[in-house]
Amino acid sequence: MKKSFLAATFLGLCVLALPLQAQVTGDGSIASKVESLGEMANLKVSDLRVVARRDGLLRVQVTITNESSANEQLYYRFRWLDNDGLVVWEEEPWKPEVVYGLQSKILTGIAPTFQATDFRLEVQSPNNSVTSNPPPGSIIRQ
Amino acid sequence: MNRHKLTKTLLPALAVLALAACQTNSPVVGDGSVSYGDAKAVEAVTTDLGSTDIQTTAETMTRSLLQHPVIQTAIRRRELLVASPVQNKTSEYFDTSLITDTILAQLQKNGMRYVVEGANMQNQVDELRRQNQSGLYKKSTTAKIGGMHGAKFRLDGSVSSITKKNNSMKDVYYKINLRLIEIETGIVEWSDEKEIRKSAKR
Repeated sequence: MKKSFLAATFLGLCVLALPLQAQVTGDGSIASKVESLGEMANLKVSDLRVVARRDGLLRVQVTITNESSANEQLYYRFRWLDNDGLVVWEEEPWKPEVVYGLQSKILTGIAPTFQATDFRLEVQSPNNSVTSNPPPGSIIRQ
Repeated sequence: MNRHKLTKTLLPALAVLALAACQTNSPVVGDGSVSYGDAKAVEAVTTDLGSTDIQTTAETMTRSLLQHPVIQTAIRRRELLVASPVQNKTSEYFDTSLITDTILAQLQKNGMRYVVEGANMQNQVDELRRQNQSGLYKKSTTAKIGGMHGAKFRLDGSVSSITKKNNSMKDVYYKINLRLIEIETGIVEWSDEKEIRKSAKR
């Protein structure tokens, strides 16, 4: 009896310690989360992880890989959304980041508010190319 | 030949006129020499501390604070915070309250409460005195003297820089350090740093 109670408590604690996977709307793929201003020529979003811990703050980790041997300038920012897709925080400042040739760089984002349950990552690089003549102001999904 | 020339010059002119007729007037007064830009754009005008540095520093610090258990508990228990003046140890002038004001505003959106800091205390004291000593106000509506709340935590910090120059370039390294101190004990409960490197060709 005592043993089974201990085991149950242990299991319960294990479950509590596990990070909660965030509810990701859409198909949950990288393409559905990344909005690129133009087509990224040399920089690629190679990995994307989202976790909502018990404190309720969404944490995002993005790996950007530079496929060229030259240094690339990246500008990025996150947009934080709630369950209904509404923006829950003001526009973030664009953040400059240098990615060295052939480097993989990890960018982290922490939600600014407990209300955020979803996000979008906006990325821009001066070497971005625009193919098939999209209308001005349109966003190409990577 | 002449007719051909006419169509070549007249048609585009007519097209431009037609397009101009389609345009609407923007609700702007001015000759176009002044324009509004993106306040969130990356500002790289000089190596001095600029808007992007202030914004990204405030953002990094707020997010770091917000995920710290001390702040999360303070939000739940409705504990109070106050911002001490952040020291500017660099050689250039800028208002460090730009950073702390943003941090306080962003934390408050998440439920954190803060009290009036020393620099703004005079207005608070003036108002309390006016209500209590001028004899102009109805007794039942005046805010009583001696009821202000003291903060439990204090936000403090400094901004430092190292500047290097040679014939071809200038390099500035900024380090912004912020700390959250429990006022009664003096214990630093949280601290974080933000580093910025800015280089310019000379």
